[in-house]
Amino acid sequence: MKKERIDLWGDLVDLKDLLLAIALCSITTMSGFFLAPHTDTTKQLFFGLGGAVLGFVISTLLIKPKRTVIEEEKH
Amino acid sequence: MTIDLLFQMFLAVIGAIVLYSFIGFIPGTDETSVLMPVTLAVVLSGVQPIVVLTFFISAVITLNLMNAIPTALVGLPGGVLSTPMIEHALYLKERGLATTSIKKMATGSVIGTAVAIPVSILLANVLAPYSESVKNYASLLFVFGAIFLSLIGKNKLLALISITPLALLFQGLRHLYWSIGAVPQDKTVTVSFFLGITIGPLLVSLLSLLNKKEREAFPRQTNKIITIYKSKEESLRHPFQTISKKEAGISAVVSFISNFLFFLSPVGLIILLGETVSNREKDPVKKASIAITSMSALSHATYLSGVIIPLMALGIPLSPVAVGPANALFNAPPVLSLDHNLHHLLSRGEFIFALLFAGILASIITYIIAMKYARQLTVFVLKKIPHEAILGLFIGFILLLAYMDAGLVNIFGVLLVGIVCGTLNRMGVNYGVQFMILYAAPWITTHLIF
Repeated sequence: MKKERIDLWGDLVDLKDLLLAIALCSITTMSGFFLAPHTDTTKQLFFGLGGAVLGFVISTLLIKPKRTVIEEEKH
Repeated sequence: MTIDLLFQMFLAVIGAIVLYSFIGFIPGTDETSVLMPVTLAVVLSGVQPIVVLTFFISAVITLNLMNAIPTALVGLPGGVLSTPMIEHALYLKERGLATTSIKKMATGSVIGTAVAIPVSILLANVLAPYSESVKNYASLLFVFGAIFLSLIGKNKLLALISITPLALLFQGLRHLYWSIGAVPQDKTVTVSFFLGITIGPLLVSLLSLLNKKEREAFPRQTNKIITIYKSKEESLRHPFQTISKKEAGISAVVSFISNFLFFLSPVGLIILLGETVSNREKDPVKKASIAITSMSALSHATYLSGVIIPLMALGIPLSPVAVGPANALFNAPPVLSLDHNLHHLLSRGEFIFALLFAGILASIITYIIAMKYARQLTVFVLKKIPHEAILGLFIGFILLLAYMDAGLVNIFGVLLVGIVCGTLNRMGVNYGVQFMILYAAPWITTHLIF
């Protein structure tokens, strides 16, 4: 049986995967922020952004997109 | 102008193109919510103002064209501005003309950019002498802006009613932060409230998933099947081989007109002007072609004029684009403020140079990408990038900027702003009105004591 997905913000998502991605990105972002030197706001921003991107990459690797793409020859 | 600075500007163009090529192909990503936070990060990183402007202009050009591509290929609009094209793009796609559509869109975008940049610069110079007198009334103008945007929106009365309560929410939170010492007295929290507004609709959807009844009522599908037709010809063509003279002429004219209407909403202008010109054509294929070409041109022209004119002429965000996606160019404390932003930091020559540099370079590169790699990129993004990861990235972003703005309490403050604004957004009060209210809030709240 195929699991049902929820249509959120223009595309389909699986709830468990969504929670995983949000948790991952939140943790990596804030870890990045707190790892940066506390006095330097620019570095805090960059470390945080780096964390966000890292979370995004990990979630992309862990989660399968819910779209089925079919490529057909031109008719 | 040093070589180093020129190199930074070049990197800004390339960075914007790489980033927004991918974001553009992702279905459903709203322009404001993808442009504003990243531009803000670029501003806060402390790069030169001219590099910021270059980045933003390239981002707009890339995003607006790339958003149109999935619309042509699979009927999924990449962003809000490409929604008016859906019907016409689907019509052409069903006739196996998706590749032709993309080429027409790409040429349309070049025309829109080529018309909008010089015309906006000229218009800004015409308006500039009035900027001093306009600035004295800036706070009042935001109030009028909120009323004006309410009146041209779909739900006029609802938007008007929401103005004062929303202003109370923003000012209320600011005063709370000052009184509990979350931020120093001289710091006005703005940026994270902007993000709260931007992320509002998504946040409301996410939170309503926690309600069992609501969750069961959400639209569901087991699978989304997307069909892409392979095509043999994916060659690079000269722009004028892709569209007819008539299409080119119409696109240029509507782009020109839209510059004078920079204070109106871009998507409204695209529908109004795009449908008007295409409805005059009888032949259905030609009609759809005119629609997508002119709409693609308009999406560029409306966005570029909406940011260039207020930025060059006034320095205060008095257009839906300026107050929304381009907001960080006007106001991004502590780096930029309404009295100290790109308008004040860049000379006329620097403005023109950055606009031309970004406009020409980004147009050429995105044109080539759209012509040659549109299909491959769409397939890659649809197959490899999960929607969940994008939503996660957004949430991470908001958390970071909310915390940096005013600490832990502000994460909950932004949550509150998101819930209120997202609900209002669902009820029909658009982003533009809400952004204007944020600017108008100090004036409104101090003039309510009787």
